[in-house]
This record gives sequence, structure tokens and C-alpha cells, in this order.
Amino acid sequence: MTIELALFYLLSAVTVGCAVMVIASRNPVHSVLFLILAFFNSAGLFLLLGAEFLAMILVVVYVGAVAVLFLFVVMMLDVNFRRLREGARLYWPIGALVGVILLAELILVTGGWAFAGGFETAAPIPSDPSITNTEALGRVIYTDYVYLFQTAGVILLVAIIGAIMLTLRPRGTLRRQDIAEQVHRRPQDTVELRKVDTGAGV
Amino acid sequence: MTPAPLLDLMPALPEFLLLLAGLLFLVIGVLREGDGVRLIGPLSALSLVIAAAIILASDKTAADTFGGHFRMDAFAAFLKVLIYVGVAAAILVSQNFLEDERIARFEFPLLALFGALGMGMMVSANSFLALYMSLELQSLSVYVLAAGHRDTLRSTEAGLKYFILGSLASGLLLYGISLVYGFTGTVMFDQIGSLLRDENASLSSGALVGLVFIAAGICFKLGVVPFHMWTPDVYEGAPTPVGAYIASAPKLAAMGLLLRVLIDPFGAWVGQWQQIIVFVAIASMLLGAFAAIMQTNFKRLMAYSGIANIGYALVGLAAGTRDGVDGVLVFMAIYMVMTLGTFACILAMRRQGSYVEDINELAGLSRRQPILALILTILMFSLAGIPPTAGFFGKFYVFKAAIDANLTWLAVIGLLSSVVACYYYLRIVKLVWFDQAAEPFDLPLRPAIGAVAGISAILLIVAVLAINPLFASAGIAASAIFH
Amino acid sequence: MLYTILVFAPLVGALIAGLFGRMIGDRASQVVTCGFMALSAACAIASFFLNIYGEPFKVVLFDWIVVGSFDTQWALRIDGLSASMMLVVSFISFLIHVYSVGYMAEDASIPRFMSYLSLFTFAMLMLVTSDNLIQLFFGWEGVGVASYLLIGFWYDRASACAAAMKAFIVNRVGDFGLILGIAACYLVFDSVQYDVIFANAASFADSTIVVFGYEFNTLTIIGVLLFIGAMGKSAQLGLHTWLPDAMEGPTPVSALIHAATMVTAGVFLVARFSPLYEYAPTALAMVAFIGASTAFFAATIGMVQNDIKRVIAYSTCSQLGYMFFACGVSAYSAGVFHLFTHAFFKALLFLGAGSVIHAMHHEQDMRKMGGIWNKIPITYAMMWIGSLALMGIPFFAGYYSKDAILEAAWASHAPFARYAFWLGIGAAFLTAFYSGRLLWLTFHGTPRADHHTMEHVHESPMVMLVPLFCLAGGALFAGWLAQGMIAPDAAWWSGAIFMRGEPNILEELHHVPTLVRFAPLIVGVAGFGLSLVLYLLVPSVPGRIAAALRPVYLFLLNKWYFDELYDRIFVQPAKAVGSVFWRGGDGLVIDGFGPDGVAAATGRLARQTARLQTGYVYHYAFAMLIGVAALVTWYLFFVR
Repeated sequence: MTIELALFYLLSAVTVGCAVMVIASRNPVHSVLFLILAFFNSAGLFLLLGAEFLAMILVVVYVGAVAVLFLFVVMMLDVNFRRLREGARLYWPIGALVGVILLAELILVTGGWAFAGGFETAAPIPSDPSITNTEALGRVIYTDYVYLFQTAGVILLVAIIGAIMLTLRPRGTLRRQDIAEQVHRRPQDTVELRKVDTGAGV
Repeated sequence: MTPAPLLDLMPALPEFLLLLAGLLFLVIGVLREGDGVRLIGPLSALSLVIAAAIILASDKTAADTFGGHFRMDAFAAFLKVLIYVGVAAAILVSQNFLEDERIARFEFPLLALFGALGMGMMVSANSFLALYMSLELQSLSVYVLAAGHRDTLRSTEAGLKYFILGSLASGLLLYGISLVYGFTGTVMFDQIGSLLRDENASLSSGALVGLVFIAAGICFKLGVVPFHMWTPDVYEGAPTPVGAYIASAPKLAAMGLLLRVLIDPFGAWVGQWQQIIVFVAIASMLLGAFAAIMQTNFKRLMAYSGIANIGYALVGLAAGTRDGVDGVLVFMAIYMVMTLGTFACILAMRRQGSYVEDINELAGLSRRQPILALILTILMFSLAGIPPTAGFFGKFYVFKAAIDANLTWLAVIGLLSSVVACYYYLRIVKLVWFDQAAEPFDLPLRPAIGAVAGISAILLIVAVLAINPLFASAGIAASAIFH
Repeated sequence: MLYTILVFAPLVGALIAGLFGRMIGDRASQVVTCGFMALSAACAIASFFLNIYGEPFKVVLFDWIVVGSFDTQWALRIDGLSASMMLVVSFISFLIHVYSVGYMAEDASIPRFMSYLSLFTFAMLMLVTSDNLIQLFFGWEGVGVASYLLIGFWYDRASACAAAMKAFIVNRVGDFGLILGIAACYLVFDSVQYDVIFANAASFADSTIVVFGYEFNTLTIIGVLLFIGAMGKSAQLGLHTWLPDAMEGPTPVSALIHAATMVTAGVFLVARFSPLYEYAPTALAMVAFIGASTAFFAATIGMVQNDIKRVIAYSTCSQLGYMFFACGVSAYSAGVFHLFTHAFFKALLFLGAGSVIHAMHHEQDMRKMGGIWNKIPITYAMMWIGSLALMGIPFFAGYYSKDAILEAAWASHAPFARYAFWLGIGAAFLTAFYSGRLLWLTFHGTPRADHHTMEHVHESPMVMLVPLFCLAGGALFAGWLAQGMIAPDAAWWSGAIFMRGEPNILEELHHVPTLVRFAPLIVGVAGFGLSLVLYLLVPSVPGRIAAALRPVYLFLLNKWYFDELYDRIFVQPAKAVGSVFWRGGDGLVIDGFGPDGVAAATGRLARQTARLQTGYVYHYAFAMLIGVAALVTWYLFFVR
């Protein structure tokens, strides 16, 4: 118990610290690296909860794909973050004020829950220790939550369409592979045998 | 209520039709390079109209499916019919613009179609997860559309701003959802509703804060103060037909979402959320009325006009009564017609092949194009809420509901701000009829644009005769979300 | 049907000429309005002979206002009084319509003029046939509007506009009294129907009403209030200032409205309310006093005026005074009789003056006339007839009525009756004097107009002369023909005029001393003779008299300084107060905080709110976050 608690606080503290550094660090590459660290720690928190599937997915998807993609983008764009930041200095007091107020309120809310607690909630679905996390998710994702799953699919489709629409430019110079054409090519259409006299040249 | 069946497709038939149509058109569009938009635009509009017709023809009793995440009832049906028809109209008016601006890509109607699908799912959402997913589906297509004129700075800037702020709003919404989930233990509307209606339930500040966040997230979509900042920039920057699209149907969908969330799961907390709604309603009405005075860009003006109008609609919601919701639905239906008609008029503002957006270009329109001038005048009178146009009845019902709910002072603020708003609507009428004629716009008027503008103007006039049936069907719709 | 046509034909004409005048043209407008007026006049003549000595009855048109006990109809009340009035109004109006065709021939907006004339006639007919006070008020205001429109007919003249406004505003003062009178009637009698009021007047004779803490006799209050209304309309002393200025209107208007018909509405009102006034002796005394004073006062001013129309205007004022003090001594019949005869000869005088003015190229100053009698002999003759009738020379129309009035004043025992008599005699002398002066100055002596004008002096066309002939016929014979009006049995009026006292005043006036009977004639001849001496035989004398009695002369010339007095007492203070409220109250307070201030504040607010839209995404995001934080704070700490 105590080890778990200690781990929880450690991971949480590092996560929050990383989150702060994502915003605070001067070098954008450092920011992305801190973001990756934050993801790792969050995955650790999931592990503590016993949600090993989510933990792995977080690492694979967010760390492996999203954050690394971010890293590439940041490095390739070469944005001068220092200049962007100059304006922000004006706003940080009010930003900090709003942040602190919200934080205090949220602490109050959760604290209020911890102390009052008199609120009847819906019973949580009991976790079944006999099946794995992955199997449990798999059982509901295509049944109870098929609607949401399919919707997510449509959202991704829209995202793909959007990405292509906003970025793809048909250029005249672009050479494209036409498989049907390739398949239908016959040797006699393209290859011609010529008898060349030796020493005469073409 | 019996447990919702997992896979009863009938209640979601229109949405399935739209999804399949979207997938089919995507394939067609990819295969037919270049001229796809000519084909897919009308086809998308047609499939939307068919979907609306299916809803009109089908049974309006409440039916849940997909494990209770999706609900089809009279409320959803009322809004869906309007949304699908509105999107179809927006697609139709966009065709010429896209061709003129050389951005005629089949993705425009396709994304609009997927957006419509998202909107339909929004008004049918019966759980917070379904709410979030459908909202994202709709939002994502709108973000892309707003940036659709990708070679102009204004359009990409609009799309990017909308996307970033929209992500922030989504974050707020998700945070609120997680708070509500944490404090109630469920995301299903029915269960939350029955929990909160329990006599013994004390007011949970956690769920309340969650509600505030959720309301803020949806208010962003509605573009109400202080979550309105994106609207003027996006309306102005996005291609005009996309502006027409953003300004019309998504507002209905978001309003439907807000109504359902506040009335169905949180109906027991009227006293609480009323205050949010009153605040944002007042702020929106006043800001919309005052800020629009300084605008000369017609699209920006319409953005502020939209902010103010959503504010008026929220006055009806603030009443928290069945009549109030009834009034909101009537108001939103009329609002959509007015907005589409006005944007169609903006699309008619084309001189020597290029589009103009400054209201001063309208000067003396009546001398050159009297019919267009008349249509625009009717639209402006309706927006200003001058009887006997439909705009008057929309405002009448929401203000009346507010007065009946002892919110007379709110109605008074609404009336005062609509008096201020009259200034800029009537300024356009003055420009059109009394000022020295500027150069004429290109003729002839495009058939689709003329049809949408003309039909909307006619609807706003004949609404005098049909206002009672509209009010009655909106009443049936409103009853569906009250328990 | 006859009566409906009589009253509404002018309205039809007015509407056609007014609404479609431009479309149908000048000539058609004239034909239409004159045609409908002829129809109305024919009906009026028929109705006159049908209804004098007849039974009174009502023609109910339709309900007007029915609210609780307040029940008002549109109805035409037909009796001897209204039939006589309708004859005067319709017939003279018809003649003036015809006359206008010639007089206004060169005007730019003939249809408008004809339309206004017809509209006026309709309103006047509505007034005289009214069956209740509300309908009377409708007609009363209708003629007021028509009068306003016609005085200001030449609206491009500043003086005409000013005169029109003056007429309207001064009349408002009178109307204020009338409205209060109507309200008082409704308060007391719970009805505005004449029948009810007259039937119950006797029972209220001794009742009192408390006004501002003082107790007054009810009928006196009503009588005085109604008479204030009558004073305004009939230009009696105090509210007379608008009438001379009203001469800014075209001359036919002066003849019709400001001589023959509208200005006599007050006399008609008092006569119509004779059943009430008979029980309100105090009010009657006031009528007699004001009437007699006006008769004398206006005549003195008439002596020195130089504008030919103003002389006749003051003469009208003076003659109205006669009519009122006749009513004031209960001789209502005599008053209306004088109204009847006066309408003819005064219209004749005005139209004759119009003819002169027409001949002299719109010159109205008598000092620039003279010596034209042989150039316009017909007009000259007509003016003679009118003047003799006005002076009360025997067997002209004015003789019968004026003598009756003065005899009644002598015979009456009412308060102020003797005062009225003596002032009446004095006024008769002055009347003869200024009439003579007008004739001599205008037609005789050496020509004082410039050579060019004199060469072009010409007789008016027949379309103007024929109406003059008709009116001259009236001025000659109306008095003799209508003597039945002052028969002691009052049968002519079929009960419309009520007189107390046995024997009544009309009986008594036949028994006055011979000297009294001849007194008007004697002073008339004397006055006329004096004018003959001063202005024809020894024309240098008036100038010397004026020089010798300069203060008196100036006093009279300036109309007893009434206009200046009103200007000082009412107009300037009102302007000052208005200015304070306008600049300070309206401009600074209401506009400043109201429309202008709100508009300016709106503009400022609009600029500031528009400035909120900076275009920076992080500002927008901040706004959202602050909004959320504010809402959450509100809920956590302020809502419980």
C-alpha cells in the first residue's frame, strides 16, 4: 500500500512537473521531450490503476506516434519560439491568476466531494478479475459502444479527408504509379528488338 | 423504459443513409477527378433532403438504440429536418462560389455532408460520450471547411483559429464530462437525470462545476459571449458559403444539444443553470447588438448578428419552461432561414466576377436589382424583428416565455438590445433604397442563390400564416425532452 | 336622402378634387366641385322651404361612439335653425365656388383650392346640422382646419403662414373653452345629445358646481365655457386678433369663411343653446357685454384701416358683435336674422372688394385707389348695395335685422342691455362712416394708383359678376323676405330657439319708442354724411384730424394695441418658457440623456466592443478561460 502510494505521488508529481515544463521550457524540442515524459508517467499511473492496456496504448500511440511526430514537426519548422514568447510575458500574471483561481476551485470541488460525499452515484460496473483488460475492452467496444467506435472511425475518415484536402496539391510534374497500366503492359508494346551491326554504332 | 436494443438501425436510418452516401460520394469523387463537385454537390443535397423526408415520414415516438447512446424522438426529428434542409441549401449556394474562386473540390460538399451527419448525431445524442463524439465529428468537418480556401491567408487563419479555440472548448467540455462522470458515476443522460431528480440528492458542487464546463463547451459552438471570439474572424475569413453553413445548421445542432443536456439530465437543476444561461444571454445580446454597429463587412456583421440572435434564443431557454423551449425551437428555425437567405444575398454581391462583402457596395441596389433589394429588405426586417415578418414571431415567443417565467427584466434587456440592433439592419435597408447607386452587381443572379434567397424571403413573409402550425410542432418537439 | 346629399355632396367634391385634382386637371376640378356644390345648394333651398315653420326631425346616419352611457350618433338635426343655416352655407358657398373659378383663374393649384373650399363647406354643414356636441365639435374643428388651410393657401408667403398659424392657435384658446364646455355638459347631463341637454336644462337652473374650490352656477359655467369657444370662432373681443390677419387668404375665402359662414358658428352655437342660456342669465350677460363691446371696438378700428379687406374684416367683427349682444338680450332670433342677412351683404362686399382688387392688380391699399368708379361700374354698383345694406339703410337687408337687434336691446331688461344699445348705436354711426369712407376712397377722388395700373383697370369677367348679382339680390331682399324670423311666435325656427319671458323679447321690441326705432337710421345717415364731407368734399380734413388727435389715431390704427399686448403678455413669455424647456429641458436633458445621449453612448460602446476583437488567438482563448473561471467562481461562492 505504502509503496503504491509513494509511487502514485512520485508519478503524479513528475507528470505535473513535466506539464509545467512543457509550457515553461525555452527550447521547443525540450518541450516535446517533456511532453513525452509526461505521457510515460501517465502510463505509469494507469498501470497503478490496473489498466495495463490503456497504459500500453498511451505509450504506443502518444509517445510512439503523436509525440514523435510533434518532435519532427517542431524540428523541421524551425519556429523562433523566443519571439513568439515575447508577447506572452505581458499576459502571464493574468493567466496565472486565472489558473490559480481555477485550480483552487477544483481542489475545493474535489475536496468537497471527499468531505461531503452524500451524493448517490450510479453503481460502477464491477471489474472482473478473471478476464484481462484487453478482453474486457474488446467485449464492450464492439457491442455496447459500437456506436461510439464507429463514430470515431468516421471522425478519423473526416480527418483524413481534411488533411488531404488542405495539403494535397496535384502538380503536373508528379509521377504516379498506375498499377493497371503496369499490369496491362505487354513486352511487345514496349520492347523492340533491333539487330545492330557490330562496330557500326546505332 | 425497456433497455435500449443494441443494434436497431431503424431510428438511425437517416444517419445511416447519410454515412453510406458520404462513403459512396467519396469514392465517386476520388475516381472522377476535377469535376467531382458538380456531381457530388447536388447528390449530397439530394441525399440530405431524402434523409429529411425519411424523418418526416417516420414515426416520431421516442426510440433508443445503440445501447441508449442514440435517441430518436420528436425533438431530434424537428431539428434534424431543419438541419438537413439547411445544409442542403448551404451546399447548393456554394457551387457557383467554389467554381468562381477556383476551389471547386468535391471535398466541400462531402465534408458538409459528414458535418450534417455529425449534427444529426448531436441532436440525437443521449449520453455524454455520444455528445462528445458527434460534436467532434461536426467540428472537424467545419474546421477543414473554414480553411477550405487554402491559398488565402484569411481562410487558413480562420480555420486555424477555429481549430485551436475549438480544441480548447473541447477540452473544457471533456473536463466537464469527466467531472460529471466522476460525481455521478455515469455518462448516460437518463441515469443522470433520474439521479438528480431524486428528492434526497443534495446539490453536488462537483457535478455543478462539470455542468459549467459542459455548458461552456457547447456555448463555444453556439458562439455566445464570452465564447464568441472566433465567430467574426471565422465568418469573415472562411469562404462565404462555408460562412453560410457555419452560421446556420451547426447553431441549430448545438442549440439542440444544449437544450437536451440542460432539460433532460440536468432538468432538476433549472435554478442553477438558469443563471449561466441568463448571463451569457445578456452578454451575447448586448455585445452582438453593439459590436455590429461598427462593422462594414457584411459577413462580420452577420457574425455579430448571429451572436445577438443566439442570445435572444437563450432568453427562451433561460425561462426553463416547455413554452420557453418551444419558443427557442421556433426562433432557431426562423433564424436559420434568415441566415441562409442573407448569406445567399451576400453571395449575390458579385461585381465583375469578384465577390464583394462591404455593405456600402449595396448602395442604391433597389434601382438596379429591385427584386434582390426587396428580398434583402425582407430579410433585414425579419432580422430586426419587425412585424409581420417571421423574425418578429421568433422574438415574440422567446420573450413571452421569459416574461411568463418572471424574467421580465431579461426580456426588457432583450428588447432594448434588439432596438439597438435595428440600427444596423435598417442601415442596410437605407443603403439599399435611399443611397446613391453604386455599380450594379453581375447579372443574371445564379439560380441556386436566387432560389435560396427568394424562398427564404417568401418563407419569412408567409410565416405569418403558418406560425401556429410551426409553434405547435415545435411544442411537440419540446415536450419530448421534458420528463 | 335629401339631407344626406345636402351635407355630403361637398365632401364628395372635395375628395375628387383633392385626391384626383392633378389627374383630372383644373377645369374638371372646378366643374366637379361647383357641380356638387350646386347640388348641395339646390337641396339646401328645397330643405329651407320644407323645414322652416315645419316639424323638427333627425336623420340618423349611424352610430359613432358607444361607450357605456356615452352614446353618440352621426345624425342630422333638421329644424328651422339648421335649415336656415344650411341655406346660407350651401348657397353662398356655391356662389363663391363659382366666383373662385374666375378669381383664382391664374393660380397654380386650382384643384387644391376648390377642394379646400368644398371641404370647408362640408365641415360647416356638419356643424350646423349636428345633433350632439361631439358632432358639433367635429364640424367645429373641421372648419378650423379648412380655415387654416385656406388662410395659408399661398403657403409660400411667410405672412400667410403666420396668419394661418395665428388663426389656428387663437382658435385653440376658444376650443379649449368649448371642450371644457362639452365635458361639463357630459358631466352634468350625462349626455352630449342636444335633446337630453335641452330637456334637462331647466331642472339644473339652480344647481351649483364646485370648480377650484368655488361654487358656481352649473349652467353659467357651461354657458360661459361654450361662449369662450364661440368667442374664438367668431372673433369676439379678446380672441378677435386672428380675423384681420386671416385676410391673407384669397378673397373668396375671406368672403365665405371669414364673413358669411364660419365666423358665425359662434352665434349659431349660442342660438342653438338658447334653451340652456335662457336659464343662465349670468352667461347671457357676459355674451351681451362682450358682443356689444366688440361691435363698438371693431368699428372704431375699421374707421382708420387702409387695407380694403381689413376694413371689411373689422366690419365683420363688429357685426358679429351685434349678433352676440342680440343673443345676449335673449333675442336669438334677431341675432340669427342678422347672421342671415349679414351673410349676403358681407359676402357681397368681400367679393366686390375682391373684384376691385382683381381690377387693381392685387392692390389692397385704399390709399392707392380712387377714381375708378367709371371703369368698373358693375362692381361699383354692387359695392354700393352691399354698403347700404351694411349701414342699415331702410329696405336693404341689414336694415331689418340691425334695427331689430337695437330695438331688442332697448326693450330688454337684461343686464348690459342698455350698454349694448348705446354701443350699438355708436357702432352703427361708425359703420356708416367707415362704409362711406371705403366707398369714397376706393372709387372716387383723384386716382392715386400709378399710371400703368390705372390703364389696366378692368371689369371682372361674368363668372365673377354673376355671383355678385345673386348676392346683391340677397342683400336687397333677404331682410324683407326673412322677416318671419323675428316674428314673436318664433314659428320659423320650429322650436329650435327658446325664449323665456311673457311677452317675449320679440314681442316687446315692437313696442319701443319711435325715436329708438329711427335712431339707427339717423346715426347711419349722419355717419355716412360725415364720411362724404371728410373724404369726398374736403379730403384734407382727415389728415389734419389724424395729426391733431395723433395718439387716438395711432391707438386705433394699431388696433388698440391688442397684438402688441398679446405679444408681450402671452407670446413672449410663452416663447421664453418654451426656449427654456427646448434648450434646457429637451435639448440638454431629454436629448442629452435621451435619444442623442443614448445614440452617442451606443456609438462609443460599439467602438469599444468592436475593439475587443483583436484577432489574436490567445486573447480569444483568454476570454474563454476567464469566462469559465468567472462562471465557476460565481457558482462556487455565490450560489447556494
